[in-house]
Amino acid sequence: MSLVRPVPTSAAPRTPLIVAEGVNKHFGAAHVLRDVSTRFFEGEVAVIIGASGSGKSTFLRTLNRLEKHDSGRIVVNGIELNDSVRNLDAIRREVGMVFQQFNLFPHLTALENVALAPRRVRGTPRGEANRAALELLTRVGLADHVHKHPFQLSGGQQQRVAIARSLAMNPKVLLFDEPTSALDPEMIKEVLDVMKDVARSGMTMIVVTHEMRFAREVGDRILFFDHGALLQDAPPNEFFDRQRNDRIRAFLGQLTH
Amino acid sequence: MNAALSVWPARWTRQQRSTATIAASAAVLVLFMWGVAKPLSWMPEPIGPVADEFASGTRVTVWLTLAAGLAGIAIGVLAAVAKLAPFPPIRWAAELYVWAVRGTPLLVQVLFVYFALPAIVPALRLSDFSSAVVALSVNVGAYNAEAIRAGIVAVPRGQTEAARALGLSPLQTFRDVVFPQAFKIALPPLVNNVVALLKDSSLAYVIGVVELSNVGNRLQAATFEPVPTLVTTATIYLVLTTVLTQISGAVEQRLDLEQRR
Repeated sequence: MSLVRPVPTSAAPRTPLIVAEGVNKHFGAAHVLRDVSTRFFEGEVAVIIGASGSGKSTFLRTLNRLEKHDSGRIVVNGIELNDSVRNLDAIRREVGMVFQQFNLFPHLTALENVALAPRRVRGTPRGEANRAALELLTRVGLADHVHKHPFQLSGGQQQRVAIARSLAMNPKVLLFDEPTSALDPEMIKEVLDVMKDVARSGMTMIVVTHEMRFAREVGDRILFFDHGALLQDAPPNEFFDRQRNDRIRAFLGQLTH
Repeated sequence: MNAALSVWPARWTRQQRSTATIAASAAVLVLFMWGVAKPLSWMPEPIGPVADEFASGTRVTVWLTLAAGLAGIAIGVLAAVAKLAPFPPIRWAAELYVWAVRGTPLLVQVLFVYFALPAIVPALRLSDFSSAVVALSVNVGAYNAEAIRAGIVAVPRGQTEAARALGLSPLQTFRDVVFPQAFKIALPPLVNNVVALLKDSSLAYVIGVVELSNVGNRLQAATFEPVPTLVTTATIYLVLTTVLTQISGAVEQRLDLEQRR
């Protein structure tokens, strides 16, 4: 299955949306990110894989400062990610995030979950925000569930609301932190389908996942993390079909057997 | 005691039933505050002739409770947030407040606000009613702070992360995401505190506030008939606490979206 997406060709001038240079992070004595340097370009889908504890989620969370990096530089959309609250606010407006545990607001309906941030952060009037939210929920296939609360929805439906919620802010890039890991197997497909649809629309996405088929089909690049370091950064066909690193071959072997 | 919720038609939603209970209980409270003089006036000596005084004492007790209850929740929220503040001196101030208030008798606090405060700061010479409201709200605020702090801590971290990742400011995150969930968790202990407050408001009598206990006590002293006067006083308190628990039970039902109870 090929995806028709406006992927920038290598000839076109490409502006890096996110630049990470020599990023390090410690949790106490544990060195969880080791000199990670990479760039993410507009319109690109980057998939981050690796064993649990390899630092892949931590790296993702440094990109909108849910985790602070200890050293190195992270620049998002031309703005340096540092202790400046103003910079952080500017960055978080442009960076959406989808969590493993959905993290929907349980006291709000699906519609209110989606409309909250545009109303509060962008100052969008309620009527307009609700209309946009309804449109997004329709896009993720939940038009019939807009007035339900999260506890009335299945895990797959909740995660689709969460994707709609992050799209509502019109972000420049969407971060996905293991979006299907907390789902029952029969609900994984509906979430991946929505993610494919979002990718097709040209959204820049950085996805931490264990879904190798998704990585191969949708990813433009595969980043492999190992013990806190970025071990490999390769296109999917090269990564999966012509893998020469023994460690990664072993990792991929465990998944297929 | 949530009998009131089951009297409504079964086809009503829980939301409608809880709304109806809140409205009905509020109506009963208002009716009771101004109407209780009527049935009391039919009673034999020594109650009948002073029915109006009992009714006015009841109203003072309710006003004390409402004023101190609302102020106490505001104080409780502020103190709870201060207890969780990243800046240590703010945390210490909040802890000092809770420690001092919970470690001293309410009776002493009421006397302190009325007599000692104006001796220290002459501008703070308050009426007896205002002094009682201040002492009671400062007192219940310290207990509320613990309940609300526990509620805030119980809201999962992912909620804050999701709100911040969406670009909400810390204040918006608290107001729109954390507090509504924390309040629901804190509601049962808060209700306990308000019921206790209703009863504790009787201590206002020591500084001369003519609330319900004071009316009963004066009558008892004048007539030497402790049984009818104290039974009447206690019965009125029981009616008030029952109405209060009906209202709070209905509020809890409203917030309990999952309908676990």
